[in-house]
Amino acid sequence: MKKREIPLSENLGHGHLACAGCGAAVSMRLTLKALGEKTVMVFPASCWSIIPGSWPYSSFRIPVVHAGFATGGATASGVRAALDIRGDHEAVVAVWAGDGGTFDIGLQALSGAAERNEDFIYICNDNEGYMNTGTQRSSATPMFAWTTTTPVTKPKENPKKDIMAIMADHRIPYAATATIAYPEDLLRKMEKAKRIRGTRFIHLLSPCSPGWRIPSELTIKISRLAVRSRIFPLYEIENGRSYNIQEEPHTVPVKEYLKLQGRFSHLTDQEIERIQEMADEEWEHLLRKARC
Amino acid sequence: MKKVITGNQAVAYGVILSRVDVISAYPITPQTTIVEELSELIASGRLNTRFLKVESEHSAMAALIGASTGGVRCFTATSSHGLAYMHEMLHWASGARLPIVMVNVNRAIAPPWNIWSDQSDSLSQRDTGWIQFYCENNQEVLDTILQAYRIAESIKLPVMVVLDAYVLSHTSEPVEIPTMEEVDPFIPPYCPEYPIDTQEPMAFSMIATPEHFLEFRYKIQKAMEQVPEIAKKVDDEFRSRFGRGYGAIERHGKEEAEVILMTSGTVTSTSRIVIRKLVGEGYSIAGIKIKRFRPFPSEEIYEAIKGAKKLAVIDRNLSAGVGGIFAQELRASLYSREERPQVFGFISGLGGRDITPELIEEAIQYTVEHPRPEEEILWLGLKK
Amino acid sequence: MTKQFVFKGASEMPMISISLGHMDWNKTGTWRTQRPFYEDKTPPCSAACPVGNDIVAFIQKITQGDFEGAWNLIKEENPYPGICGRVCFHPCESKCNRRDYDEPIVIHALERFVSDFASNLNKKIEKVPGVRKEKIAIIGSGPAGMSCAYHLVKLHYDVTVFESSSLAGGMLRIGIPSYRLPKNVLDREISNIVALGVEIRTGIPFGENLKLDSLKDYQAIFIATGTHRSRGLHIPGEKGKSVFNGLDLLRKINLGNKVKLGDKIAIIGGGNTALDVARSVIRLGKKATILYRRSKEEMPAFEDEIVEAIEEGVKIRYLVNPIRIQQKDSLKRLECMRMELGEKDESGRRRPVPIPNSNFFIEEDSVIIAAGEEIEVSFLPKGMEEREGIVLTQRDGSTGIKGIFAGGDLVSNQRTVAHAIGSGKKTALAIDCYLKGKDSEEAIRQILIGEGPSISIFRHLYPDERPRNPHVVTFEELNTDYFEPSKRRRESKGLVKKRIKGFGEVTSGFTESITLEEAERCFSCGTCNGCENCYVFCPDASIIKTEEILSHQVDYDFCKGCGICFSECPRGAISLKEEAR
Repeated sequence: MKKREIPLSENLGHGHLACAGCGAAVSMRLTLKALGEKTVMVFPASCWSIIPGSWPYSSFRIPVVHAGFATGGATASGVRAALDIRGDHEAVVAVWAGDGGTFDIGLQALSGAAERNEDFIYICNDNEGYMNTGTQRSSATPMFAWTTTTPVTKPKENPKKDIMAIMADHRIPYAATATIAYPEDLLRKMEKAKRIRGTRFIHLLSPCSPGWRIPSELTIKISRLAVRSRIFPLYEIENGRSYNIQEEPHTVPVKEYLKLQGRFSHLTDQEIERIQEMADEEWEHLLRKARC
Repeated sequence: MKKVITGNQAVAYGVILSRVDVISAYPITPQTTIVEELSELIASGRLNTRFLKVESEHSAMAALIGASTGGVRCFTATSSHGLAYMHEMLHWASGARLPIVMVNVNRAIAPPWNIWSDQSDSLSQRDTGWIQFYCENNQEVLDTILQAYRIAESIKLPVMVVLDAYVLSHTSEPVEIPTMEEVDPFIPPYCPEYPIDTQEPMAFSMIATPEHFLEFRYKIQKAMEQVPEIAKKVDDEFRSRFGRGYGAIERHGKEEAEVILMTSGTVTSTSRIVIRKLVGEGYSIAGIKIKRFRPFPSEEIYEAIKGAKKLAVIDRNLSAGVGGIFAQELRASLYSREERPQVFGFISGLGGRDITPELIEEAIQYTVEHPRPEEEILWLGLKK
Repeated sequence: MTKQFVFKGASEMPMISISLGHMDWNKTGTWRTQRPFYEDKTPPCSAACPVGNDIVAFIQKITQGDFEGAWNLIKEENPYPGICGRVCFHPCESKCNRRDYDEPIVIHALERFVSDFASNLNKKIEKVPGVRKEKIAIIGSGPAGMSCAYHLVKLHYDVTVFESSSLAGGMLRIGIPSYRLPKNVLDREISNIVALGVEIRTGIPFGENLKLDSLKDYQAIFIATGTHRSRGLHIPGEKGKSVFNGLDLLRKINLGNKVKLGDKIAIIGGGNTALDVARSVIRLGKKATILYRRSKEEMPAFEDEIVEAIEEGVKIRYLVNPIRIQQKDSLKRLECMRMELGEKDESGRRRPVPIPNSNFFIEEDSVIIAAGEEIEVSFLPKGMEEREGIVLTQRDGSTGIKGIFAGGDLVSNQRTVAHAIGSGKKTALAIDCYLKGKDSEEAIRQILIGEGPSISIFRHLYPDERPRNPHVVTFEELNTDYFEPSKRRRESKGLVKKRIKGFGEVTSGFTESITLEEAERCFSCGTCNGCENCYVFCPDASIIKTEEILSHQVDYDFCKGCGICFSECPRGAISLKEEAR
């Protein structure tokens, strides 16, 4: 039986305060296995301002710098500069930001850093909403989804922002999507990113049990369905132009993905059709970009 | 070596001499020549410094917070809107006890758009936990930056060095520029207490519950309370090395006076002339230059105003609803004292309006003639 | 593990909110409302296996490349893997959960590979030491008798097997032809049992040369004489010239004796015997036509047999029932009626009903009647009850007579090799309990596989090892996201032209590489195989890997009970229960 090649380090630790079944905790644990202990991670405000614990205890075994909500890209730029000046060229500087801290309030600092090709790995832990503050919508929230600021009577009207396209157009050396149901793929991409210099961007989809209204045990399954339904395809972009898609042969209709989530339980058949259409269009669009 | 340089150039020299490691700044009039000068110096290899050309002031301060946490000496400069934009991060820098030094060129905040001298920008940040120094001339600007790094790195709080827009920033004055060899023994290398280290990993700026937060804030206040003593030591040492010292305040004019004029920034220079003239005419006038605004030099001021009956404060700023901020802080510092002179709060010069000798004299005359101020706020030069 | 810090005040605190310790003191296990735990359950293959093999366990050994380990594991329950791997009707494969995904695992071929591999090891089998004083007599060296002998000798008993024929093996020897079960395989597996210390005395038929009285020295007797009497058709002419008995014919062929038959042969019947007869006579150069009174769906013979028979040229005529056999010159003339299917009978199959006036005639050189077997009861001791063609026993094989047990085809209508082996094993346990004064019913109850009736004697001997919840894992309880669809491998068969020239084995076993590939397809239902999904996906790093292979533990100090491990276990080897508070 083929054995998984998963490093044994546990730099997230346990005893932390993530919800039971937290997708982000799985994402973080796997990410740190790939990045190793010589990693300095910058945390703009998100669930991760809380999860590691409150002073004086932090479950992390790596240095961690908590920072202002909008400042992921900027704070990490400073950390990198300082480490370089002190002669530490081995430590990896990474940002771990939520979708709020990446797509919305943090977009400016991220764009600035990317344009300067700052040398860090920017990881967006996307749970498609402002989950730490209680599930308000973000520009990463999918269309028609319920959140506390897009109630069922008026769910989110606009589609999810295409952050990968935005990052690609900054011509950064490496951008990739990944998710926890595909752990070997996630590890490979983190390890690959670690070996590249310049701004690297990883877009992780992390299902959130309370925010998506899903039972905690389905976190991995839903992450897998997101890929299989082509709502969240796995791919890499190098230098903003060269695409490499990790095709998932087992495709399913988006309905399979949506029906398991409480945040979509109000969808009408037309809305589901529309989501399917959009997913199909985006997939075709991605294939075209890959072919160029 | 003496050179005739602008205030902004003096800033640049101060930064070079302090061996700053990381600069992160965003241009805004009238700070721009600071960053331009520094860029030239870095590009020409004279400064072995990283300059992160960030995309906003908020990011500039965030980047410095990152770099300072990383354990290196940092600097930025800004003004007006830029300072206001980084407000959130000013709180962060002091809460994180990072010895960042920032130069702020005092400029009015819009609307209306106005690029000229006004203290409202820096004084709006008085609650952010930054030590604040106001400079009267370009020499003082350079010298204060050098002292600022010493003070910041001892106290572990950030320091803001303030100069007036155009009057200092773009005006050339003769400045004695010390050499690197003279400055190095004065500013030793930065030794951070908790640098980032992958061998000894820690979490920085963690969440703290109500159980502990009070004590963290208490420690900041205690640090602030140490500033007068530390700043004096640094200033004394500076004086013995370089022959120049400034104190937290400086008293000039008649030794014992009934009326004392309190000023800050370049207004002080003008006021020296006016007071000299009036003293010559027999007035019992003295002047106090307030260099250090935060922590407010209550002890020093109280010592210096002994015997005075009236204090006239010229504020080049407005906290709408209250009045001038120096006046407000002064009143507060006097409240618990035994002797409480009358405080006349004058506001003038907002948005770069010239505070002329005539206006200063008008203020002094008013103070002399009135037993107490007839209004809370006395507007100088206002066209009603 | 850091203990909690206690600060008296600001003077003891650092100036910034910098971390001073970890969160290991925070036992998030207290959050749980449900508790995951590792629990191996019963795979449907094992539950369906009449022998009581631990199928998933031996397949896991194969995937690890430990073929000898797989062999030893099978041998815990089944002395005849080489035989079963060839002739068993493999109900395990019919119940294999993979059939609901793509195609079931070819379990019998894996069992066969392991047996053939072990035979090449030439390992010497040692006699079991420390023989007890109790002696046990076993009547019949068929699969039931030998299975009982095997398990009893391993329990240190003194076992003697009495066999009426000149060679041991029972139906395996005289009923099943060599092209299905080569004689050297049979000989090898019998001698493996003999080597443990079992004595077989051949040529001693029960009832004739052997009476119950002469067995007084034995503390227990197991009667497993099987079904060697052919059932008659009760039609005119069935005792005539050139009309033969199927079982007799097979016995002759299998013992190497000459038979005299015409060219065109009609075989009446639809079971395995009929098929075996037909395919045997083909190999003697004859033409064979099977006449069966029901349709293909009801034919009791194994599917593979029917397919191979047709390939070899056997003709099968369905819904045909001979009512009279006459002689016409040198030929036999069979008067037949066409049948149609009516209501279901007691076997659950639709009853064949003659279509009036549909009589027709078939002419053949010889006729062989292979319409079923019955038990021989004449030699059975008084006190053993017979009803509807079987001897009645308790579940454990005990009869009305103290110390006398019965099993195999004698006591059951499920007349397969596997059932016989399972019956022998169960009776061995029953005899052991009887001789030690223990409650056999209770012992059996403890070791049922799933709901039974098969048992695991390994669990009886080592109750604390390899525990399994009797719940049988269903397809719905698996997480098939982790399996790639793939077709099952098929065993190769000889070319028809070649194989009908003699009695050489028709089916070749798998090669090692195909065995490994096929074993990889096994879902390992209900049984942890160390895939580590649980370890990888736990958000709280609360799955601890232990020193032993395939062993994981839940760290209950920190497990929050999210259930991800339960959900992502591909094989249902993790259970969830409510957390008791």
